Amino acid sequence: MILTGLLLIALALLGAPLFAVIAAGAVLAFGRADIDQIAVVMEVYRIAETPVLLAIPLFTFAGFILGESRAPSRLVRLSDALLGWMPGGLAVIALVTCALFTAFTGASGVTIVAMGALLYPALKDAGYRENFSLGLVTTSGSLGLLFAPSLPLILYGIVAEVSVDRLFIAGILPGSLMVLALGLWSFREGRFLQRAAAEPQAFSMGEAWAAVRAAAWEIPLPFIVLGGVYTGFFAVSEAAAVTVVYVLVVEVLIYREITLTRLPAVMRESMVLVGGILVILGASLASTNAMIDAQVPARLFEFVTAHVSSKLTFLILLNLFLLVLGTMLDVFSALVIVVPLLLPLAAGYGIEPIHLGMIFLANMQIGYCTPPVGMNLFIASYRFDKPVVALYRATLPWLLILFACVLLITYWPWLSLALVQ
Amino acid sequence: MSSEDREARRPTRPAAQAFEGGGVLGRSLRFLGGIEDFVLVLLLAVMIGLAGWQIIARNLLDTAVIWGDPLLRVLVLWVGFFGAVAASRDDRQINVDVVTRVAEEPWRSRIRVLTDLFTAAVSGFLAWHAVRFVRDAEAFGETAFGSVPLWLTAIVLPLAFGLLCFRYLLLAGFHLRRSINPETGG
Repeated sequence: MILTGLLLIALALLGAPLFAVIAAGAVLAFGRADIDQIAVVMEVYRIAETPVLLAIPLFTFAGFILGESRAPSRLVRLSDALLGWMPGGLAVIALVTCALFTAFTGASGVTIVAMGALLYPALKDAGYRENFSLGLVTTSGSLGLLFAPSLPLILYGIVAEVSVDRLFIAGILPGSLMVLALGLWSFREGRFLQRAAAEPQAFSMGEAWAAVRAAAWEIPLPFIVLGGVYTGFFAVSEAAAVTVVYVLVVEVLIYREITLTRLPAVMRESMVLVGGILVILGASLASTNAMIDAQVPARLFEFVTAHVSSKLTFLILLNLFLLVLGTMLDVFSALVIVVPLLLPLAAGYGIEPIHLGMIFLANMQIGYCTPPVGMNLFIASYRFDKPVVALYRATLPWLLILFACVLLITYWPWLSLALVQ
Repeated sequence: MSSEDREARRPTRPAAQAFEGGGVLGRSLRFLGGIEDFVLVLLLAVMIGLAGWQIIARNLLDTAVIWGDPLLRVLVLWVGFFGAVAASRDDRQINVDVVTRVAEEPWRSRIRVLTDLFTAAVSGFLAWHAVRFVRDAEAFGETAFGSVPLWLTAIVLPLAFGLLCFRYLLLAGFHLRRSINPETGG
């Protein structure tokens, strides 16, 4: 059993698609327990029995349309008109717009490609240091992971069987903490920069109004999604349906930035991501079941509780484990494989599933930017034509700040739970 | 976003598509890919239309299509699996790519032959069990929702796993050729 496990891990490290590795694990485990392996397929079919999942293809497609349109530049213009007057304003704008955009596109790398392309040159023109600008656009690619309607947040709700609406609300404070902390760092950089060269632009009522008018159709979007879900008017999947229809009407029919002939390509592109995630989810439904049959979570629980006595120690170990995990796996695979194992453990130490979700995702957010496989690093390296090693250095201060936030989120449950209780 | 940006998000040239090449085989593969894409786009369009209609019907007309919600759930499965087939055609399944990123040719291709064959084997095995699942569902006359038979909604599983198996066999063949002769494609 250990041998086959190691073999599968070796295959995963060699680059075999994770869905195949996970499915193979389930097949072998069911075989060992003398359960007909048709069970694997039956588990996969459960995808068709999970209502919230509908939100994933719909939100993803809506995010891809937004990324494909000129919404990013309107968003940047709007924030520039509103926040450009303050020192470090542009950097703060970059953070806020990236966070918003990532929430809608699910940290799939679209943020770096679509927003980074606008913000990186703008930051450099405004006189920000190269490393500061690079670090900002790279780390911001996953900032906003904790804000509704981000894909990982929805997926956590499905895997952990926690209400997605409550997760949407729970993410507000921890997510804002991260934006705020990085914002202060940018503010400091801005003051430093002001002395050197550039002067902040004065606030212009005319430009602000023009920017609001340009983005008039997109400004209501967060309110439709968040307002609809927070007030309980829409279920999450309904909010997704409204979002996708709204975005289609706005970008295709009103702004006309995406032609009807272009639409099928965007649909396909977005569903490649969705397919990649769902097939892993399907396989992991089977592997989780196989693990429960083999009493893996129970044994893990016994083992950990025998060795780790206090909640504090557990949380420290959890943080370390998740940070390492985040460097190896993308957030989606990590979620579906590890969360079912962590839930009973966390419950044993009195950690709320919602709090666990915040800890998990906050850690994973850092994992996006840590070597060796941090996705943001590679996308940024490709997009801005910089060696990955240069990005390691550029992102370091940002990661340290995010790490401090992760510690706060981990050891101060109030932050995650205040709004949902 | 320009097409240049789109390329930036796709660092490696899709090997499976490079393999398609010319000739009868290439043409049939492109034809198959075209059908897959068409079905995928159609399914998503139906999903969006139906999901949108359900909300209008429920909130404004005070009715809703009864089979609408279960059908939407089945569509998620179908879209997901056709999306997964598309991901395989682009060679963009989610994986850990530390080793393949640093490995040099011909080792990169040799490793790929191994992992491609493994994935094909797993997909083929699942396709076979999915066929059994569909057959059982038909034999027992199980229904998915309303009077819609389960075998019909579940048939996407043998289909998609079969296509995944096929795609990874093609990829394995492509990487095998390239491990012998690095000049081949890609």
